[in-house]
Amino acid sequence: MGRERLQNLVPVLLILLALIGFVLDRAGLLQPIGDLLARGTTPLQEAMNLIVSQVGELTQTARDLRDLRQRNRELEAQNASLLLENVRLREVETEATLLRDLLDFSQVYPSFDIRGAHVVGRVIGRDPSNLQRYITLDVGREDGIVRNMPVVTNRGLVGRISEVGDGWSRVLLITDVSSLVNALTQSTRASGLIQGQADGSLMMRDIPQEDVASVGDTVFTSGLGGDFPRQILIGQITKVERKDYELYQVATVQPTVDFDHLEVVLVITGFEPIEETTEDPSGNGQ
Amino acid sequence: MTIYLVVPLLVIGAVLQATIVPHLTIGGVFADLPLLIVVSWSLLRGAREGVVWGFIAGLAVDLLSGAPFGAATLSLIAVGFLSRVGEGTVFGTRVVLLLVTTFLATIVYDLVFLLIVQISGQTVAWLGSLLRVILPSAALNAVLSPIIFGMMRWLYTRLGREGMEL
Repeated sequence: MGRERLQNLVPVLLILLALIGFVLDRAGLLQPIGDLLARGTTPLQEAMNLIVSQVGELTQTARDLRDLRQRNRELEAQNASLLLENVRLREVETEATLLRDLLDFSQVYPSFDIRGAHVVGRVIGRDPSNLQRYITLDVGREDGIVRNMPVVTNRGLVGRISEVGDGWSRVLLITDVSSLVNALTQSTRASGLIQGQADGSLMMRDIPQEDVASVGDTVFTSGLGGDFPRQILIGQITKVERKDYELYQVATVQPTVDFDHLEVVLVITGFEPIEETTEDPSGNGQ
Repeated sequence: MTIYLVVPLLVIGAVLQATIVPHLTIGGVFADLPLLIVVSWSLLRGAREGVVWGFIAGLAVDLLSGAPFGAATLSLIAVGFLSRVGEGTVFGTRVVLLLVTTFLATIVYDLVFLLIVQISGQTVAWLGSLLRVILPSAALNAVLSPIIFGMMRWLYTRLGREGMEL
């Protein structure tokens, strides 16, 4: 009878334990335990990731197919590099034009470009939930990683470091609903906020009605708020919604980064972000 | 099945969920292996064991997730508890019950998960998540549930008849 009663209490006890864990985590007291356990799970994740990549290799049985894939990869890399170069050149041109019109440009454009060291991190895990968009990297505190550092690839902005352990770190992707990035369009300098959507796409919101946002325009980080360096490529506008009765315009943005196939990323360690990044005042993710 | 087998099984399930499963997307969503395991075991062994499995699987998922600690644990405890609706009745021809239970369990899991995420101060897109993520993933989990249930039933008949030692 006593054992029966004890067994009936098990769910309540487990819920209590989970709630205690939630509170301790919010207070930051679970970090040492998390670090300790991550030492065990990180190699496991790495091994699993290795298996995934090896199984992927095995499926490419035809040699010519592999060659084609290789050639395709090279061309894609070349294309990405040319795209980036082209975009940068256009950005420089636009900025030069703007600077000519500004007397005190040094105040408006502090030298805030990407500098300093980059840490290359391999993606060893993804978030287990469909509702959250994080990746886990194999670099951490020991490699000089701290919270809020920007993470990029050669194709553009990936996200920012949200959690750091000794040999691992977690990246909040810009496609997550809770991520907000101050952004600017390249040709018309329309400003707005890039926010992730539930389905993993990107939306540029809070674009003032008087600004011009056009389909095909490239979107960059603006550097406003100090949470990301400026001029990091984010994506391209594919759709603009402008309603006269709304305060702001909204645009759909196609990210340049392929978030489904992230393997290696760069963590910008030379940039010192402001501790707390932009928060969503309205809390209205879509 | 003893706790010494349950823990590694659920940890491996969580690690697979954080490494391989997200690569296997259908319609933009991927299956939830720990949830499928917990639902299957709850249906086979009842809510009492389902809750314990949910707790262990949730801990493992929380350790590998960027979400607030406890989000997956509390959600999977709820799933383990609520799956008692179909307890012990899925053997035989009642596959529909398995599909419906898994579909509803996924919705419950995701809604509890989002609630905890919101309580922790993060932004949540309720409607967008429901329409674009939760319902499609509930459908995907339901479709896959007979496969995982079959595996868990095999495990149950081979190892688990004596129940889990707590």
